[in-house]
Amino acid sequence: MRRKRHKRTLTEVAKDLEILPLMNLFVVLIPMLLLSAVFLEMSVVRMSPPAESAEGPDDPGDKLMLAVTITPKHYVVEGIDIGTTRVKRDDVGGTEQLRSTLEQISMEHPENKNVMILSEPETKYETIVQVMDITREAGAPRVSLLGTDGIAKERIR
Amino acid sequence: MKRGRERLNQLFKRDGKLRITSMMDILTVLLLFLLKSFVAEGEVITPARGVELPESTSPDLPEASLVVAISKGSLLLGDEMIGKSAELEKEAGLSIAPLADGLRRNLEKSRAIARMRGEELDEEGLITVQGDREISFRLLQKVMFTCQQNGYGNISLAVIRN
Repeated sequence: MRRKRHKRTLTEVAKDLEILPLMNLFVVLIPMLLLSAVFLEMSVVRMSPPAESAEGPDDPGDKLMLAVTITPKHYVVEGIDIGTTRVKRDDVGGTEQLRSTLEQISMEHPENKNVMILSEPETKYETIVQVMDITREAGAPRVSLLGTDGIAKERIR
Repeated sequence: MKRGRERLNQLFKRDGKLRITSMMDILTVLLLFLLKSFVAEGEVITPARGVELPESTSPDLPEASLVVAISKGSLLLGDEMIGKSAELEKEAGLSIAPLADGLRRNLEKSRAIARMRGEELDEEGLITVQGDREISFRLLQKVMFTCQQNGYGNISLAVIRN
C-alpha cells in the first residue's frame, strides 16, 4: 500500500511543466511594455549657427521686427507698424489667440520669416518651447531668443 | 502491477515535441517592434536621467553629438558633472566657467581626433541641449551663450515629439 502511494505521487510530480500560461503572460506583458516605450519619441529644435545667418541681427528681410514678449500674464505681440497686441495667458483660449494673431500677421506680411521671442529670466523653458512651436506653425520659423533685460542676444535659427 | 506500468507509460508517452508556439508569438512581436523602430530612424540619443524634456511639434530628428543635460538639480556635460543648477543660475554674468572649460577640452579632443584622421572639423560644433521643462530662461540663456562662445554654436534643443 505504501509503495503504491509513493509511486503515484512520484509519477504526479514527473508530469510536464505547465509553461503555457506563463508564456501567455509574457505575450501580453511584452507588447504592453514595448508600446509604452515607443511613446517617448525624441526630436530636436534646430538652431543654425551664427555664422550661417551672415546677415546679422538686422537682415534685410527683417523689416517687420516681429517680437513676442512673454510676461507672467501676457503674450505681447509687437512689430513695426502693426501695433501692439496683448493676449492674456490665463485665458482658456490664450494660445489659440496668440496663434491667430500671428497667423494674421503672417498673411499680411508673407515675406517675413523672423520672429524674436523675448523672455524674462524666470520664464519657463517649457513656455518658450511652446511659443516657438506656435511661431513656427504660424509661419515664422526663424527665431531669435532674447532676454528682456537686454543682457545678450542669442542669434538662432 | 501491469496496470501501474501501463499508466506510467501512458503518462510519459507524450512525444518529445517541444511546444514552442508561444515563444514564436513573443519573437514575432519583438521582431515587429524592432523593424518598426529601425524604420523610424531609431533613437540615436537617449534622454538624460532626471531631465523631463518639454514637448514640441518640431519635426527635426536628433543627431548624435555632445550633450549638455540641464536637470532641475544639476548641470552635466556628457558624463561630467559641472555644477548645481541653482547655484550656476544665481551667478552673475553670462558665461558658466566650468562648462566653458569642459567645452574647450572637448573641442580640443575632437580637433585632435580630426587631425589624426586627416578630416576637416565642422565650423561650428554640434551640441544637443537637453533641458528640463521647468528650468528658467536665465539658465538656458547662460548655457547657450557659453556654448556659442566656446566653439559649439550649432545648438539643438532636445524635445519630446508631440
